[in-house]
Amino acid sequence: MKAVFIVYNQALTEKVSEILNGLLIRGYTMWTDVKGRGTKTGEPHMGSHTWPALNNSILSITEDEKVPLILKKLDELNKSAEEQGLNAFVWNIESTL
Amino acid sequence: MSLYSTAVKKPVTTLMVFIGIMVLGVYSLMFIPVDFFPEFDPPVVSVFTFYNGANASDIEENVTKRLENSFSTLSNLKEIKSSSKDNISVIILEFEWGSNLDEATNEIRDALSRSARYLPAEATEPTILKFSSSMIPIMMFSATADENYPALNELLEDKLINPINRIDGVGSVSIMGGPKRAIMVDIDPRKLDAYNLSLEQLAGILAAENLNLPAGNVKMGQVDYALRVQGEFANSNIIEDIIISNVKGKPVYLKDVATVRDDLKELNIDERINGKPGVRVMIQKQTGANTVEVAKLAKEKIKELEKTLPPDVKIEIIFDTSDYITGAISNLSQTLMYAGLFVVLVVLFFLGRWRATFIIILTIPVSLIGAFIFLFLTGDSINVVSLSALSIAIGMVVDDAIVVLENITKNLEKGSYPREAAIYGTNEVGLAVVATTLTVIAVFFPLTMLGGMTGELFKPLGYIVCITIGLSTIAALTLTPMLSSKLLRLKKWDKKSFNGKLAIFNEKVLGKLDDIYVKTLGYALKHRGLVVIISIIIFGSSILLIKVVGSEFMPPSDNGRISAKVELIQGVRLDETKKIAREIENIIGEKYPEIIMVSTSAGAGDEGSIASVFMESGSYIINFMMSLSSIDERERDIFLISELLREDLSKFPEITKYNVDPGGSRGGSMGGSGGANTVEVKIFGYDFDETSILAEQVANFMEEMDATIDIMVDRDKEKPELQIILDREKMSSLGLNTAAVSGAVRNRINGLTATKYREEGEEYDIILRYDEQFRNSTSDIENITIQNPRGKLIKLKEVAEIMQYYSPPSINRENKERVVTISALVEGDLGEVTTSINKNMDKLDIPDGVMYEIGGSAQDMQDSFRDLGLLLVLSIVLVYIVMASQFESFREPFIIMFSLPFAFTGVFLALAITGTTLNVISLIGGVMLVGIVVKNGIVLVDYTNLLRERDITLWKAILDAGRSRLRPVLMTTLTTLLAMFPLAISQGEGAEIWRPMGISIIGGLLFSTMVTLILIPVIYSFFGTARMKRAIKSVLVTSNNNNN
Repeated sequence: MKAVFIVYNQALTEKVSEILNGLLIRGYTMWTDVKGRGTKTGEPHMGSHTWPALNNSILSITEDEKVPLILKKLDELNKSAEEQGLNAFVWNIESTL
Repeated sequence: MSLYSTAVKKPVTTLMVFIGIMVLGVYSLMFIPVDFFPEFDPPVVSVFTFYNGANASDIEENVTKRLENSFSTLSNLKEIKSSSKDNISVIILEFEWGSNLDEATNEIRDALSRSARYLPAEATEPTILKFSSSMIPIMMFSATADENYPALNELLEDKLINPINRIDGVGSVSIMGGPKRAIMVDIDPRKLDAYNLSLEQLAGILAAENLNLPAGNVKMGQVDYALRVQGEFANSNIIEDIIISNVKGKPVYLKDVATVRDDLKELNIDERINGKPGVRVMIQKQTGANTVEVAKLAKEKIKELEKTLPPDVKIEIIFDTSDYITGAISNLSQTLMYAGLFVVLVVLFFLGRWRATFIIILTIPVSLIGAFIFLFLTGDSINVVSLSALSIAIGMVVDDAIVVLENITKNLEKGSYPREAAIYGTNEVGLAVVATTLTVIAVFFPLTMLGGMTGELFKPLGYIVCITIGLSTIAALTLTPMLSSKLLRLKKWDKKSFNGKLAIFNEKVLGKLDDIYVKTLGYALKHRGLVVIISIIIFGSSILLIKVVGSEFMPPSDNGRISAKVELIQGVRLDETKKIAREIENIIGEKYPEIIMVSTSAGAGDEGSIASVFMESGSYIINFMMSLSSIDERERDIFLISELLREDLSKFPEITKYNVDPGGSRGGSMGGSGGANTVEVKIFGYDFDETSILAEQVANFMEEMDATIDIMVDRDKEKPELQIILDREKMSSLGLNTAAVSGAVRNRINGLTATKYREEGEEYDIILRYDEQFRNSTSDIENITIQNPRGKLIKLKEVAEIMQYYSPPSINRENKERVVTISALVEGDLGEVTTSINKNMDKLDIPDGVMYEIGGSAQDMQDSFRDLGLLLVLSIVLVYIVMASQFESFREPFIIMFSLPFAFTGVFLALAITGTTLNVISLIGGVMLVGIVVKNGIVLVDYTNLLRERDITLWKAILDAGRSRLRPVLMTTLTTLLAMFPLAISQGEGAEIWRPMGISIIGGLLFSTMVTLILIPVIYSFFGTARMKRAIKSVLVTSNNNNN
């Protein structure tokens, strides 16, 4: 099992949900209206007057084999709208209930 | 959840809410009356007191003064004006605008009851008349006839007046100047004297003969009969056969001493319509009724009823206020349509997308129709004020939607889904949209607090603009994102399609424009000092333009009516006056085909009637009322025709005084419904001679001034009268007294109504009077015989002398002081006229105890300009407050405020170029500009701030913001501007009134936008540099401190 943490511009909410649904990933945790900014490029998403955009983030624990698929789809999405901002991080799950 | 995300997520609800608003609006529209002005009643109450037999100075002393004193404690009273004439005292009480007239009337009644016992016993009880705008006749038509003229009144009464009266909304219908049937008994005094009879005895005999009397009941057998004496004259022929006396056993018939005519009452007034004898019928509406609707129904009814009238009776409409109203309304509706069209074109040009254009345009009907609900709820009408409010608003209601949609598109281009783009795009600009709306409301809301007549006019305008703008913002935050999420798609332009080509072309043009602007801005930033100096020079020199731009109260408007008054030498007989009247009518008919109807009235109507108060009349005075064809059908306006008419009138040697009043509003207590501006000089002082001489001098210098025409002095020359001076000693020795003698003289000269003749339910007076040939010289009067109580006949000359005197025909007072008013029409600059009158007045030698004051439109102008000046200050403060709280800073609003002076530069420039004057309307346009022009500044400065906070360097931030905001700024400015354009160039009915507003807004907005785009960034850069220096300094200081 791996954890996939996806942070993305709110504007992409629908497309991200589509990807997860498409891959039959049922379980996830979502935080809406979170702030953040990219390490290298892109506009900060701070929900302020200066930087009005905000992020949503999803943490999904899923089977290992689905991870490359998720990343592939997300990458496609990101490339189609680079300015929106999307990032995903994957790490291992050591144990669950 | 925020408003816009709810709206986007619940598209059906959103759509339904707005459809609901539209349905309610359209429903309201069906019930809203159409009128010219919003309903407002001038706060004026008049009190009439009749005191027969008293001359002007008696009336002043015994009635007017006493009443005036008792009225002076009334609350909210602004002014007391009075006019004391022979037989009548008129007091006009003017209250502050907005005071409750019902309360005022009650107070007046109280005051009257307190002072009643101080009034002369013979004076009638004072009558209170509340003047309301519904008393102004909505329509007047004339009826002319040839052979049926004598019966015209009865005919009209039965066949026309009563049916019209039954129309819903008609308040009253009244006939003016119609012939009245009467049985005239013309007595030969010599024959009467021969039979030793008096006129009063004859009257008694006739009254005694003309009698029906129930005489009780008689029971005969089983039947109960009512007994009745039937002595009433069965027809008018038998009157002359009434036996009036018996001399030596022989009966004396009435025909032996008099001729009996079943004829028309002798009229002292000659009414003609287009030169034909006729009557005028006036229709008034009920308060709150729809003028246009009532007039339409009345006209239909007249058309229908005309067929039932005899063929020689012709009905013609003299004036119909609904014509002017429908003209003005349809003109404004057209303006509104063109404004809408221009807005569509602008949006389409900038966006190049049909769907986006559609979304934006949709906010127009939504917010405008919402205004109808407001009108319906407040009981207001569709009128020129509410419609022009809509045409002002139409260009602004799209602004919010434009800003929102532009941002949504930008989000779409970044690659988000339409739904998300709609929500987040709206979120980003939501605050700015609300803030710009608030600045507009900050300007228009104070309009609703304006006092005086201007206030009454502009209150609805303030409310309507606030409501439509408010609604448009709500629509921009809900409907626009919802529709964008459904309709907008990001697509590449197809280079072959028409739409694609158009879009690519537009994009090229706009791109070029962006480049040019950024280049100019860059240059300006490098030469900041120069830009500031040039700006100061431009503003400074525009101040000088004020001198070029004239000022006036209200723009004169052509309402297709001219009224004129012509006076001949005092005391001229009606027959002579009539001749001149016919000649003038001929001239009008030949030279002015534009005048389609002339209604002439020469002479005076019944003395002591209320009508005589409103219109000066006398046997030597001719009043003309002319109505002209519709504006589109003629070249010459009422002002030019009036001018030419004055020239014609001046050629008559018989005419001593004349004035021609374009618009016909002068003399009436209400202006505003068209016509020219007036200036008045009021001279206060008790002494008649002193004030009259001064008035003469004032009239003389006004005559010489170029800008004033048609000078009128309201104090007439003293009029000649014959006074009967009674010798009391002789009278008492003959058993007579003043009452008996004066009564007898009146009966013989003026006539005595002995009894009434009844026919078919109508009553006609039977009037006894000396035959005309026995009452037309001084000796005839001297030879009047009076019977004393002993039955002896006495000639008037035995007890009295007849002398010729002069007496003032009327005494006018204002605020309890005698006043003479010299008034003139103003052609040109009202402000200048006032100054030059003041200058001339200084040269005159004004006696002690005499004061003067300048009034008329000039006074109204000063009052209104002062009010509007205050309003301007208030608006600026409010706008500053809104901006300061939006930016959370004192500095940014200050920078943005720099665009204000240039708005006024633009206003003056536009007024000077178009030759328009500075008046209430253009000034209100100026006030509105405060809210409109700062919007551009807000958009520009806000975005520059944003970029600065994103750590972009000052100059780059300014240039980038300029490039990015140029299009929205241009787009919102152009929509507002072009929406005003039809208002500024429109030509039809009533357009003159609103043109100055359109012109000043266009001028101000255009100029200030051009300046804003360059000057505001430059000033921003000054402040930015200063801030940077301070920041650097503080960094240095802290680092120095650390080092220490």
